[in-house]
Amino acid sequence: MAEVNCEGRSIREINFAIKSLIREGEKQITVTQPGARHNLGVAILEPAHVTIQGSAGYYCGGLADGSTVEVTGSAGWGLAESMLNGTAIVHGSAGNGAGAAIRGGAVIVHGDAAARAGVSMKGGLVLIGGNCGYMAAFMGQKGSLIVCGDAGDAFADSMYATVCYVGGKIASLGTDAVVEDPNEADIQFLDAALERYFSVEIRKTKPAGKDFRKILAGRKLWNFDKRDRKIWLEAL
Amino acid sequence: MCGIVGYLDKTGKPADALGRTVLGMLNALGCRGPDSAGVALYGNGADGQFVARVALSAKNGFDASASKVLEAASKFAPVSDSSITDCYLRFQIGGQAGIRCLIAAVESVEPGTEVVSLGRYLEIVKQVGSPENLEATYHVSGFEGTHGIGHTRLSTESRIDLSHSQPFWGHGYPDLAIAHNGHITNYHQLRRRYAQRGIRFYTENDSEIIAIYLAGQLSAGHTLEQGFDSMQRDLDGSFSCVVATGSQLGFVKDQFALKPLLYAETADFVAIATEEIALRNALPGDYEVREAQAKESRIWRK
Repeated sequence: MAEVNCEGRSIREINFAIKSLIREGEKQITVTQPGARHNLGVAILEPAHVTIQGSAGYYCGGLADGSTVEVTGSAGWGLAESMLNGTAIVHGSAGNGAGAAIRGGAVIVHGDAAARAGVSMKGGLVLIGGNCGYMAAFMGQKGSLIVCGDAGDAFADSMYATVCYVGGKIASLGTDAVVEDPNEADIQFLDAALERYFSVEIRKTKPAGKDFRKILAGRKLWNFDKRDRKIWLEAL
Repeated sequence: MCGIVGYLDKTGKPADALGRTVLGMLNALGCRGPDSAGVALYGNGADGQFVARVALSAKNGFDASASKVLEAASKFAPVSDSSITDCYLRFQIGGQAGIRCLIAAVESVEPGTEVVSLGRYLEIVKQVGSPENLEATYHVSGFEGTHGIGHTRLSTESRIDLSHSQPFWGHGYPDLAIAHNGHITNYHQLRRRYAQRGIRFYTENDSEIIAIYLAGQLSAGHTLEQGFDSMQRDLDGSFSCVVATGSQLGFVKDQFALKPLLYAETADFVAIATEEIALRNALPGDYEVREAQAKESRIWRK
């Protein structure tokens, strides 16, 4: 277990220190006194576990490929943005755009996520233990977004093939979002995800897989068809 | 970009001076906008007297301008405790003074004279430059009080000078101040509407409309909560905004959540800022910070 103390160092020096330790073979790194600084632990391409003791600012764990970045406090905008693979875990809440444009891996937020969680995601999993804000999963292309609590307005707007699951209430659905009951495979997937990422204690406070609703694209916006003129007028 | 902060002490016995806390938060956001910096701080009150802060015209020298302002003001109520720091004249005036006439009289002594703030608790200090400069010129860190807001500006649409800096006082409404990060896109339409009613605009900064709007709402007898609600209907564009009155601190975020704003509440304080880095820089301890959701607003009382 190695430690990187952020006090008095530039973000460039901090990330360089993390990467140097990983190059030397270190697998567990603790980052202390992060002070909610931006760009902590970005672009880590090795399977190391970086624990940020405290809060992180913007873009924490972004552009990752295979690393695990864990934040004990909260994270700012763009958590794990454009991650290829790996895991980002936030024990507090996350700012806007958590898990935006990820291509793979898992983004786990134990608290609430603010607006635009999982927008334009192209794979992977965004799992929110609490509530999510406005326009989550907007234009989602692939992957899954799970919200254990309530979802905000314009949920799952204009999606391609991202599949969303909500355990609580949905304030309002976005254009072309369709609600279904989860099938057997969905329930298995949900239960497996909750079991994998949440402890037994935490799981007790969350809905079970069968209690979620499934939200996916109605596919009305995928191709232009004159007969669907009305939905296009509403969407644009 | 711009950075905004808000802070309210809940203990009545803050561990640090209000000015130092607000400035500490603002310093961490200096990189979001170095064009100008300002704070609106709420003191402990001066026996019901108003505190006025007036930006003086440099044309004939600050001392000469200050004498004229004090002479004009003293026709409305007894004036006391006047002092000049840089371009600011600060003085106390009896709380019975009719505010609108007082402001008109003071601002007409010389072109360029502006009442930057007036209230029983409120004092606004703002200037061109970074938050560090603000401390160097005005020593705001020693200011004792209950709550305050601050702003550091990256100018995108209007001039860089003292008047265009934030926080804005709700001109004519004592103790109301706002700091705004965002862009009000129906500014010109609203401005025309207010101007037709004879309301004076001091700047071409779109954020000023929020101060004028809320001053109008509160003057009409609405609560701050109602003002925040109607902002969602009446203002277009993006706004993350901190607002304070003599007894309240609050924030409001637009329906699209286009600008950041987060907050923390503990048994001792409420702190609001554009970035968490501001809170961690000024307020030690273990507390949770939460990004506000779209359309969210909160108000705390001192």
